[in-house]
Amino acid sequence: MTETAVYLQPAFVLQQRNFRETSLIIEVLTRDFGRLSVLAKGVRKAKSKTAGLLQPFVPILISYVGKAELKTLTTVEMADSFAKLTGLALYCGFYVNELIGCFLHKHDPHPEVFVHYQSCLTRLAQEATLEPALRTFELDLLESIGYGLHAETNKSSIRSASYSFDNDRGLVADTKGLLSEKTVQAIQLRQFNDSQVLSEVKLLMRQVIDTHLQGRQLKSRAVINKLIKRSET
Amino acid sequence: MQRHGLLGQLIQHLCCLPGVGPKSAQRMAFHLLQRDRKGGKNLAETLLDAIANIGHCQQCRTLTEQSLCEICADTNRDASLVCIVESPADAWIVDQATQFGGQYFVLHGRLSPLDGIGPDEIGLDQLEQRLASGTIKELILATNSTVEGEATAFFIGELARKYQVLASRIAHGVPMGGELEFIDSGTLSHAFNGRKTL
Repeated sequence: MTETAVYLQPAFVLQQRNFRETSLIIEVLTRDFGRLSVLAKGVRKAKSKTAGLLQPFVPILISYVGKAELKTLTTVEMADSFAKLTGLALYCGFYVNELIGCFLHKHDPHPEVFVHYQSCLTRLAQEATLEPALRTFELDLLESIGYGLHAETNKSSIRSASYSFDNDRGLVADTKGLLSEKTVQAIQLRQFNDSQVLSEVKLLMRQVIDTHLQGRQLKSRAVINKLIKRSET
Repeated sequence: MQRHGLLGQLIQHLCCLPGVGPKSAQRMAFHLLQRDRKGGKNLAETLLDAIANIGHCQQCRTLTEQSLCEICADTNRDASLVCIVESPADAWIVDQATQFGGQYFVLHGRLSPLDGIGPDEIGLDQLEQRLASGTIKELILATNSTVEGEATAFFIGELARKYQVLASRIAHGVPMGGELEFIDSGTLSHAFNGRKTL
């Protein structure tokens, strides 16, 4: 934390919290400085021009100063035009934000996660099915922080027909495993076109993420499940 | 400076009001004690009374001391039109600013997946019951123009569709008397996307 001033850093707001009368504390994911908290003073006033920009999922360039943990926002501008998330994609966006909050430590730069995040948001906004974008992001995020999934195919010359996930060893060949070889290949290639593959990967990722969260619950997942249940009944 | 005694306590408690810091609290306390003791007494009594008696309206969840608020009890108002707002203050503002002749429904918050605030916390059960009863013909979604406000509006819109109720969202864009040159790019792009045919 030697930097005292950072200028025009590409960033996304992950979450915002009201602070005092007119200020916000925003949690941002920056490209070169990782996840950090920034105090945005006076942005909730009636004449504020930046309140609209300091929303989640908007690509922004931020400048901030400060030596302490909490930085102070100086300027913010929109980076470029973007596709807006609507409907269910918006809720998926919240889920992705929560994942970043859980898996990335503060002040731990991961420029590649920033790129994955950006492309995930674009895919969520444009593609008809949301799940491939989410699964790709989950896998990429885990890989970037050292929890990548690789099947143990080198050990035995014969490729196994089914795999399962082991907490310590990752994907292992297992005759009783629920993952087909097709799914394991799809994971390596990040291609999720098949519905069978998608549902298998969904269950796998849920298991993997829950393992790494060590009992911590994802709030957004609970809310999304409730919403889906409610709109179905 | 922390003062002890009753005066210090009064100043400290006045600080719980929004926008009131120690300095303003000090002014208020001295004003009430030196110049307007009667006003202070009235304030204290009304405050106690209000805290004890004001609850939520059974139908729209706004703040009221009766079981049904004035708006819901007013038979001249159109019960088939319901405006959804995030807070009682929003309902108040909308009612003052517009000639809206329908009723309100106050969520007391918004859906916020990151804070774990789901449909149960904002009284959607109650709204769903009203939608199911078939008395509502149109919902006007006047939640804030934040990402969470949009998320809430989307979900309530879906609920309305399930019960075949028309749902509309309030417009966002260029403020009255606003010049395009000085408007932030986000608002302008929103206004552009939501343009109306003349």
